[in-house]
Amino acid sequence: MPLVRADLHNHSCLSPCGSLDLSPAVLARRARDRGLDLVALTDHNSARNAPAFRACCRREGLAALYGVEATSAEEAHVLALFATVEESLAFSEFLQGHLPRLPYDPRLLGDQAVVDAEDNVLDLPVLYLGAALDLGWDELCLEADSRGALVIPAHIDRLAFGALAQLGFLPEGPYAAVEALHPQVRGEARGYPVISGSDAHHPEHVGRRPFVLELPEDWRSGDGTVRLEALREALAAGRARPYWETLPPSNGR
Amino acid sequence: MKTSDLPAAIPCAPVYDGWASKEIRGGYTSDLLSDVMSKAGEGYALITIQAHKNTVAVASMLGLAAVILCNDRPVPPDMVEAARAEGIPLFSTSETQFEVSGRLWAALRGDAP
Repeated sequence: MPLVRADLHNHSCLSPCGSLDLSPAVLARRARDRGLDLVALTDHNSARNAPAFRACCRREGLAALYGVEATSAEEAHVLALFATVEESLAFSEFLQGHLPRLPYDPRLLGDQAVVDAEDNVLDLPVLYLGAALDLGWDELCLEADSRGALVIPAHIDRLAFGALAQLGFLPEGPYAAVEALHPQVRGEARGYPVISGSDAHHPEHVGRRPFVLELPEDWRSGDGTVRLEALREALAAGRARPYWETLPPSNGR
Repeated sequence: MKTSDLPAAIPCAPVYDGWASKEIRGGYTSDLLSDVMSKAGEGYALITIQAHKNTVAVASMLGLAAVILCNDRPVPPDMVEAARAEGIPLFSTSETQFEVSGRLWAALRGDAP
């Protein structure tokens, strides 16, 4: 069975905290250069760069997933990943209705650029995408799950915006996996499969914390679309290895 | 001061009825439940906007006397259900965490509001 190098947590220039240099084109090129096979685009609360990302991944010969890193009302982050651009955009549109109307100054909070595959700016949304949605964690996760998304709580062991810090412990949910930063997470993952992710905000972050997933030969359908079911099954079967399990043995620690 | 005295000290209303009143020994104000777990203690009132059923679990583990939900945060039904099951009194208020903390601090010291 093929070993796929995957990274399911990456931002682009649409995220206010993401570098303007990290366009979908740069993300896809860097991902290919770092030897990744499967890459997801997960901007904060919006998937509007997904169309450009699809074109860029096709150009680079990468498999892609399209989604968001959504911010629940409790200010905890969760990844929702879809196989198609259209599904990700529909979910993104749904989320826009749940964002607060906050004052947004790009100078202070960062630019939010919707771009095409050639880095041309198409739009600069005025709604601040870094804000918390008015959807509670459970409601948000269930909504994403009901739309067929892979639901993955993001960096659960991060002090800011991680589920453990915000919510004390991980609530039960329809999670395909949980993303962690440290191997020490173990029990706190409550038995859900653990993966790592780069959470890339700058070009140099791309590929810094991928994971390896053993997938069946037919993990992509004929048109190149990723079969989420294949991913779901491989994760549930314990076939994912976060980056810390793929590093060469100890460097004297 | 007891849980049942809260509505006299703070403009708040119980989210459900039928809980047992406990002695309030102190208070803690935070929206990060990991922080609450490490800092709040038995008999404390928790002042927060974190309206999630995990808040009830944390309150139950620590033996908190009450949870006061500020800013008129909507309380999810599963949170009320959990609070009822665990016997954790929940209160809702339109005031901010700052205002409620000030009032509770004064009330616990015996100052006039």
